[in-house]
Amino acid sequence: MMMRRCLFCLCGLLLLLSLPVLAHKASDSYLVLEVKGKEVSGQWDVALRDIDFALALDRDGNGEITWGELRARHADIDAWALGRLALQRGGTCTLQVADHLVDSHTDGSYAVLQLTGACPAAVGDLTLNYRLLFDLDALHRGLLRLSLDGTTQTAVLSPDRAEQRFVAGEVSRLSAFGQYLVEGIWHIWIGFDHILFLLSLLLPAVLVHEVGRWRGVAKFREALVEVLWVVTAFTVAHSITLSLAALGLISLPSRLVESAIAASVVLAAANNLKPLVEHRRWMVAFGFGLIHGFGFASVLAELGLPQETLVVSLLGFNLGVEIGQLAIVAVFLPVAFALRATPFYRRGVFVGGSLVTLLIALIWLIERAFDLKLISA
Amino acid sequence: MVLGKLTNFRRINHVFLSLLVSVVTLSASAAPRKPLDDTEVLEHLPGRAGDASSRELAAMRAAMTSAADNPGPAAELAQRYFDLAMARGDPRYVGYAEAVIARFSDPLPASLRLIRGLLRQYRHDFDGALTDFAKALELDPDFAAAHAWRGAIYLVQADYVAAQGECDALQKIGRKTLFGACIGLVQAYGGKLEAAYRSLQQALADTRDNDNRLWLLTRLGEVAAWRGQPALAEGHYREALALGRDDGYLLAAWGDFLLDSGRPAEVIKQLAGWEASDSLLLRLAEAEAALKLPGAARLAQMLDDRFAAAKLRGDTTHRAEEARYRLRLRGDPAEAVRLAAENYRVQREPRDARILLEAAIAAKDVAAARTVQDWLRSSGFEDAHLRRLGQELCKGASPCGAPLPAVRAASPAGVPR
Repeated sequence: MMMRRCLFCLCGLLLLLSLPVLAHKASDSYLVLEVKGKEVSGQWDVALRDIDFALALDRDGNGEITWGELRARHADIDAWALGRLALQRGGTCTLQVADHLVDSHTDGSYAVLQLTGACPAAVGDLTLNYRLLFDLDALHRGLLRLSLDGTTQTAVLSPDRAEQRFVAGEVSRLSAFGQYLVEGIWHIWIGFDHILFLLSLLLPAVLVHEVGRWRGVAKFREALVEVLWVVTAFTVAHSITLSLAALGLISLPSRLVESAIAASVVLAAANNLKPLVEHRRWMVAFGFGLIHGFGFASVLAELGLPQETLVVSLLGFNLGVEIGQLAIVAVFLPVAFALRATPFYRRGVFVGGSLVTLLIALIWLIERAFDLKLISA
Repeated sequence: MVLGKLTNFRRINHVFLSLLVSVVTLSASAAPRKPLDDTEVLEHLPGRAGDASSRELAAMRAAMTSAADNPGPAAELAQRYFDLAMARGDPRYVGYAEAVIARFSDPLPASLRLIRGLLRQYRHDFDGALTDFAKALELDPDFAAAHAWRGAIYLVQADYVAAQGECDALQKIGRKTLFGACIGLVQAYGGKLEAAYRSLQQALADTRDNDNRLWLLTRLGEVAAWRGQPALAEGHYREALALGRDDGYLLAAWGDFLLDSGRPAEVIKQLAGWEASDSLLLRLAEAEAALKLPGAARLAQMLDDRFAAAKLRGDTTHRAEEARYRLRLRGDPAEAVRLAAENYRVQREPRDARILLEAAIAAKDVAAARTVQDWLRSSGFEDAHLRRLGQELCKGASPCGAPLPAVRAASPAGVPR
C-alpha cells in the first residue's frame, strides 16, 4: 500500500516536472499543404488564443476554452479561416475543412483544421494568399510548409508578404536525394521479409559448421568478413534489379516477386537448420538479392519517382536501403558475436529463430502464391 | 492461434515503427487528437476570469470600434496593449497594438505616430521609429513622450550627444522627472556615474507616480551596482519590487544583479513562475545551471525551443539573450560572439557591450569586440567589472589599441568631456 502510494506521488512529481510551461511567443499559425497535381490536402494549426481574440470562443467568459465551446463554433472558424486563405493554380482552388482536431505547441493549444481541396490545373505555379489575423495582430505570421508536386518549400507569410508564388518543377536535386534516402531507410525497416532474409543469412555468420556441428568463430574479423560479403552481395544484386525495374526496363508480376521473396526467406532459414550451402553464402545473398530488388522497386513505384530527378532519387533510395541494412547489421553483429558460444544463441536464437522464421515465411509463401488471407490480418 | 500471432509480426512491427517515427518527427508537438469530452478545458486565456484588465480591454476595444475614425480611443487601446506587452513579456500584445494602428492610414496624428514609433523600436526598427518620433514632434513640438523615446533610442545607439539634445528639450518644456531620467542615463552611459546617480535620485524625489518610481529605482539599482555599491543597489531594487507591479525589465535587472553577486538560489525564488518570458527564463536557467540543479537541462532545452521558434519566423530581436545562452549555458563561445556582435551593431547599451566582451574573451577573438573597446574608451563608462573585462581581453593581445584609462570610480566630479 505504502509502496503504491509512493510510486503514485513519484509519478505525480514527474508529471509536474515535465509539464510544459507555456511560452509567451508572438502569434504563429502552422500551415502544412500538399499540392499534387490538382489535389490539395493539408493541415492548419491555429492557436485557440488567436481564434478567441478574433471570434470570442469563451462564451461563458470564465477564461477557459473547452472542447464544447470550440466545437460549437467550428462552422464560424472554418468560414473565418478559409476566407483568409486562397490558393491559385490555373484559377482559384477550392478548399474545405475535412475534420477538426486539436494539438498543442509551445505556447498553448491549437485548433487543427484538416484541409482538402482541388485546383483547376494540375501543373503550373501555385499562388498562395494568406491574410489570417493580420487585421488584428500585425505580428502574426503564417509558417508554411508546402509540398508542391513532391518538392517541399517553406515560407513565412506576413502582412508585407501575404501573397507568394511558388514555382513548380524546380525540384532541388539535393532535397530529392535526401527525401528518397529517408524513404529507403524507412522501407528496409518496415520491410519485415527483407529483414528476416538478411538475418537468416547473418545468424550463422558468427558460427562455423564443422563435421555436423556448429561452433563459434574464433575472431570477430572472421564474422565481419562473412557479413560484409553477404551484405555487399545482397546490396549489389538488389541495386541492379531495383534500378532496372525502376527505370522500366524489366517488369515482373508482383505476385510472383512477392512469392519468390517469401520462398527466399524459407530457403535461407532452412539452410540454417540443415546446411546445404555453408561457405559461399554470399552467392545465395546475391541470387535472392536480385529478387528482393524487384520488391523494393514496387515500393518505389508506389512512392512515385519524379522524372526530373530520376537518377538522384534512385541513388538516394538505394543508399537509404543500404544505410538501413547497415544499421541492422551494426546492432546485430556485436550482440551475436558476444553470445555466439552460449547455448542461448546456438539453440535459442540460431535454431529457434531460424525455425520461427521458416514458419512465418512458409505462411507468407502460401498466402502470396495462392493469393490467400490465411491467418494474418 | 500461435501462428496467427506470429504472422501478425508484420503489422506489429509496422505499428511500432510508426510510433517511433511519430515520436521522432512530432517531438515538437503532440499528435493532433480529437477530444471526447465537451467539458475538457483546452486553453486558459491570459488574465484570470473576471479580471479587471480583460474587461477594461474589451471596453476599450468596443470604444475604438464604435469611434472608427477617431484616433483617440485607438491610441489609448494601443498604448494599453503595449504596456501589457512590457509588463507580462507577451509579444502578442505588441501585434495587437500594431494592428490597431494599421487601421489608420497616413498621415497619422501625433498620438498614433508616437505609438507606431514605440512598436517599431520594439522590433528594433530604430530608423523607422526615429522617423515616426520626428513626424510626431513636427506636429507637436512639445510632445514630451516623443522626446523621451527618441532619447532612449539614441542611448541604445550610443549617440550621447543626440540623446542630450532630447533631455534638454524635456527640460525646456518643464518635464522635470522625464528630464532627470533622461539626463541620468546620458550621464551614466557617458562615464559620469556619480552625477547620474544624483540626477536619478532628484527625479525620484520629484515624482509620486509609481510607474515612474519603479523605473527610476531600477535604474538607480543598476547605477549603484556599476559604481560597486551592491548594498545600495539591492536597497533600490527591493524598493522597486515592493511596489508590487509586474515589470519584466526590473525582474531581469534584479536577476542579473543576484547572478553577479553569486546568489542564484534567490533568482530561482524570485523568478519562479516567470518561465513564459524568454528573458526571465534565461536568468532562471542560468541560476539553475549555477546550482547544478536537475531541472537546468530542461530550462536550457526550453530556451533552445524558443530561439528555434523565433528563428522560424525570422525574428532577430533576441540576439543578445541568445548570445548569453550560447556562452553561459551551451559553452559555445564562437556562436555567442557572432550573435553578440550582430546585436551590438543594433544595440549598444552596457549590457550589450558586456555580453560581447565576455563572448570575445571566451572565444579569444579580440577583433570581434573592438567596437566595445572603442566605446569604453570614448564614453569613459565607469563600471569596474566591464573595464576589467576590457583589460582581460587585451591581455596578451598587442593590437588592442591605446590602453584603457584606469577606473575612475572614486573621481568625485566624473570626467570632463
